[in-house]
Amino acid sequence: MHSENQKHDFEPKIIAFVCTWCTYAGADLAGTSRMQYPSNVRVLKFPCTGRIDPVFILKAFQQGADGVLVSGCHPGDCHYIAGNFHARRRFAAFRKLLEFIGVDLGRLAFSWVSAAEGGKWVEVVTDLTEKVRAMGPMVEFKDLALEEQWSGVINTPELQEAYDAI
Amino acid sequence: MQKYITQQNLNTLIDTLIASGTRVVAPRMSAGIPLYEPLDSSVEMVTDQLPRRSAKEAFFPVCEEIMSYEKEGQQIKLTDIDPARFPETVLVGVRPCDAAAIPVLDAVFSWDYKDEFFLERRRKTTVIGLACTTADDACFCTAVGLSPAETRGSDLFLIPLNGGGFACQSYSEKGEALISNNSALFSEPNNAAPLPLAAPQADKIDLKKVKSWLDGHFEDTLWDGIAVRCVGCGACAFVCPACHCFDIVDEGTEKAGKRRKSWDACGFWKFTHHASGHNPRDLQPKRYRNRIMHKFKYYDDKFGQTLCTGCGRCVRVCPVGIDIAAIVEEISKK
Amino acid sequence: MPLTSQPIDTSIYATITAAIRSEASRLFTAAEVVAIIGYAAARRVGSAQPVIITDAAAAETLIFTEACVNNLAVYLTKAKKEIPKKGKIGIIVKGCDLKALVGLMGESQLKREDLYLIGIPCAGVLASAVQPATTLTTETIASKCCECDVHLPLGCDFVPSVTLPPGPQMESRYSEEIARLEALTPAERWAYWKEQFAKCIKCYACRQICPFCFCEQCLCDRNKPQMVETTPRPAGNTAWHIVRAMHLAGRCAGCAECERVCPMDIPLNLLNRKMAKELKELYDYEAGFEINDKGPLTMFTEKDDQSFIK
Repeated sequence: MHSENQKHDFEPKIIAFVCTWCTYAGADLAGTSRMQYPSNVRVLKFPCTGRIDPVFILKAFQQGADGVLVSGCHPGDCHYIAGNFHARRRFAAFRKLLEFIGVDLGRLAFSWVSAAEGGKWVEVVTDLTEKVRAMGPMVEFKDLALEEQWSGVINTPELQEAYDAI
Repeated sequence: MQKYITQQNLNTLIDTLIASGTRVVAPRMSAGIPLYEPLDSSVEMVTDQLPRRSAKEAFFPVCEEIMSYEKEGQQIKLTDIDPARFPETVLVGVRPCDAAAIPVLDAVFSWDYKDEFFLERRRKTTVIGLACTTADDACFCTAVGLSPAETRGSDLFLIPLNGGGFACQSYSEKGEALISNNSALFSEPNNAAPLPLAAPQADKIDLKKVKSWLDGHFEDTLWDGIAVRCVGCGACAFVCPACHCFDIVDEGTEKAGKRRKSWDACGFWKFTHHASGHNPRDLQPKRYRNRIMHKFKYYDDKFGQTLCTGCGRCVRVCPVGIDIAAIVEEISKK
Repeated sequence: MPLTSQPIDTSIYATITAAIRSEASRLFTAAEVVAIIGYAAARRVGSAQPVIITDAAAAETLIFTEACVNNLAVYLTKAKKEIPKKGKIGIIVKGCDLKALVGLMGESQLKREDLYLIGIPCAGVLASAVQPATTLTTETIASKCCECDVHLPLGCDFVPSVTLPPGPQMESRYSEEIARLEALTPAERWAYWKEQFAKCIKCYACRQICPFCFCEQCLCDRNKPQMVETTPRPAGNTAWHIVRAMHLAGRCAGCAECERVCPMDIPLNLLNRKMAKELKELYDYEAGFEINDKGPLTMFTEKDDQSFIK
């Protein structure tokens, strides 16, 4: 936990896809309990982890996320009975695919955080942030986004400048 | 201007051009397949295999940015691409079937609207064609009136000679300039015989007859017969040296993004899909009919040329074995 | 690649051709089917292409050779609106093609009673990289055939009575390549796939030929919202291939059509085989063997592995 604000050279962008019933409420509890956790995390609220499409994770990385967290209700606690069971299988498969493509799985975390687990939310977010901070920026997707087929390349100093500015 | 150049001097020419900052594009192996790509060195060039994609992408990229936008407060800033920044390019080792497609593309990109993206690349590119010595049974350049020694579209044309080196003939000012700027590398023509050229096993097809049949058979059972198997991908159009349809999309976020132009194909369901939901070419045979009609009728109507150079790439890549050479031959016999 | 290439006996294909012709003719004469989807010879020497025949006279055009590579199941999906789906349709299927039909039946896309399955005892077909007139050997054979476990399709309505000669032992190309990639570091794997996906021109041949890509509108064709860049740039290409592999996970049974048709030779089936391997390890599920109305990613158990979840 961060008791005081530290200065870091690199502040990772963490995107958290959370379910509204458990993890979002858990994060809310962390806030109302005045627990401190890294402000690197951007929370996106979904009805259920079952609604979180793997393509969202892909999109997050493409748009510049350095780490992604998916979090929802503990098994058996799903508001929609089985959404998180489906999500569990889907993400078990998807992380294997990403790993095979060459994405370091250290950047992708999954957790069950209930509405009562404000402390666990803080722990999960802090762990992922520090892990990703140690790994450095996620450059793979960022580099890819700037690449062109050779025929479409226009070599200009401006493009390089734009890249360096990201 | 007729000259002779050794293989070694051709390599020197390529390396000199690269060193001087000119982009040299030639067939080379890329992740396992031959493709026209910018060379880092002349040793990368491979000329014994037909590149999987045609040379059209040197002028008509697979995908290119044509504009970018950025939102600053209430203002939207638009930035155009300046075609003046396109690099000077020399295309080397272009197959006759690929080179012959370039004038075909010229016609459409400089017709009612002058496409500066295409035309500026075209102006800045010198094309060195290479006579073809290998053909397989998908090749049919001879059927559409071309040949493995076709010089159309080339600024400079090389014919490999028995005993090494190439006979070299210029067909434009660009070609002559390339010779005169590098005159030390070229010598006077010798009388060595050319290597045996490729001999595609395809008899000349009467394209006028094909066109006149197409004129009257927009509706015909032929289309269902040949294209019911078509699965609607864009492979044929994308590997084609002469197909030139493109799509324009905006990609990015509300804050900033780019407008991009990329290859499109008439085989796609989406190609004619209206915003209303209606699709005038609702089934695959209608889409395939457009491919044949465009190549052998519409383009002829408008520009007096055929939109096919017989490279055979579409025949090789079609997932379901649709053979345009067989189809055109069948039409010519009707 | 084996040190020496060994020939593969395909002499039964002539008998099979004769048998499917007479069966097709019988089916039309007895009015048991309205159409038969099969293969016929095309212009190039030794080549074959899919045909849809509707009368007994055309039965004589049907063939089966080592060039009959297509998985014809794709024509039975709702995406192929050109093929009338009224009445019983006969279809020629190799073991690998049958797996796709089994999957489609599981997903309620097809009914068994609407089909007349003509099964082919198959010794293997040619790889896409060779000319159609090549002889079948352990070198020219398609990679999927090296790992084939369904030389004899089961549960068909008609199978020519031939005895498959024993084939030579072949190395498992996909398993070996997957193992090689798995042993690399993530950065090396990323570099490998980046180079492969950079070749992609988004012709969507992989999608169009796939029996399981039957969506009315593909997610990757949508622009509101645009989940995947539609342009053929490295970023959009990579996203497309990841989405494709994910959407086929647990469904793809390995007909390898995507890889065969790719004009840029991207080893797409590696992704599919990798996902199949993972789902087998995780949930002991293999696609294509029995008609299941739930796949591994549409069902669950309470005891599923969650070692990766905190």
